[in-house]
Amino acid sequence: MNCHERAELTPLYLSGELEEERAAAFGAHLKSCAECIGELQHQARLDARLHDVLLAEDVNATKVDQRVREMIASRAASQPAYRDESRRWILATAGIAAAFALLVLAGHRFLLGKQVAQVYADAARDDQMEVVQLQPRHWYSDPAQISVLAQKVGVPQSALQALQRGPYRLERAKICFLDKHLFLHVVFSDGQRDLSMFLRQRDAMSVQGSADEMMNGKLVQTADIGGEHVALFETPQLIVMVATTQSSDAASHLVAFAASKL
Amino acid sequence: MPHSRSLLRVARRIASDPAAAEDLVQETLLRAWRNFDRFEKGTNVRAWLFRILFNAFYAQGRKARSSPLVASIEEGRLEAMSRGDARAQPPIVEAAAVSHALQQLSDDHRAVLLLGVVEGFTCREMAEILSLPIGTVMSRISRARQALRERLSPACSDVLHPRADVECAEREVS
Ligand SMILES: [Zn+2]
Ligand SMILES: [Zn+2]
Repeated sequence: MNCHERAELTPLYLSGELEEERAAAFGAHLKSCAECIGELQHQARLDARLHDVLLAEDVNATKVDQRVREMIASRAASQPAYRDESRRWILATAGIAAAFALLVLAGHRFLLGKQVAQVYADAARDDQMEVVQLQPRHWYSDPAQISVLAQKVGVPQSALQALQRGPYRLERAKICFLDKHLFLHVVFSDGQRDLSMFLRQRDAMSVQGSADEMMNGKLVQTADIGGEHVALFETPQLIVMVATTQSSDAASHLVAFAASKL
Repeated sequence: MPHSRSLLRVARRIASDPAAAEDLVQETLLRAWRNFDRFEKGTNVRAWLFRILFNAFYAQGRKARSSPLVASIEEGRLEAMSRGDARAQPPIVEAAAVSHALQQLSDDHRAVLLLGVVEGFTCREMAEILSLPIGTVMSRISRARQALRERLSPACSDVLHPRADVECAEREVS
């Protein structure tokens, strides 16, 4: 692969769509070409800037939601004759909410298979770029700022406080995007090294899969991806994920601690 | 409503003003509801909704963009700052620079950056959403990234906050 081909395939590389063979050729070219590495890093930084700024914007869809709900309700009431049997059933049995619940569920079915792997892979990549390589990001270390971030992803203040009652020090935090979901990315230090924890409210998009082991009463799933050790568990309120390159012991230790506190 | 915040985030960057953006999302959700029986199970519902959004947008005819929208986003940000609840946002200079640069791009370039970089769609999904061949999506997003970069880095300054004395690298770390 030459520089030109590398440039052409970059969109697929950045979106994770390159299949194994071409990804390997892409990686091999990067190893031999400092210019392309620089170019790609620049690109990734630019993406991160755009992404961080736009996702931090306050977007309030309450008004639109309300309007749509009202319009759907009035149309459903005034037009009872629907040709399609299944839709009539949906409208007759539970109305709009059910129609949209189905819509969302259809999305889930698609996501579930891929989400388990994707969310781990994204966590691994995020830890690699932000904590191992220390790529420039806007981090927040002020506890008041961090609790504002936490609110954005539905993580209660009490959870953050609980996680600080133990051997780990909360160093910094930011919002990160893993598999199309916002997570609070918190960096904990055990005194020697930094470990990543990703937290978000457990919503309908909950991650499912076969659990590997029990830790403090919670089912923990683990995966090793490209030198990163990732572990995930859920509480009734939260999805909690840990990622670190340190060792699987270090990951388990932080996960066990979090599972005991949350 | 499902995904309405994502839809609105993108809509208010492509529509001509905030009211038009809300109308576009409303239209999208209503069309989705009406055509739900045509939604193929097993396909990505989020991509499907964005496809409806862009179809609705293109059906309206592309209206000339005006700056009031960006101004209103920036105003909202400033207001939030003065209320003290914007502490979690990126520094205002950075946000204004990025936001301003994005709005200077062509509609086509802005659309692929919003979908690919902000909303995290793959090239294949974008091809579906925008009804384009995947090769077109790839070259378009490459050119869009280039265009955004040119608007953000050359003088390391933007109209609101020129800081010619600061190195590019430092600006990015800020
Ligand atoms: Zn090269
Ligand atoms: Zn992160």
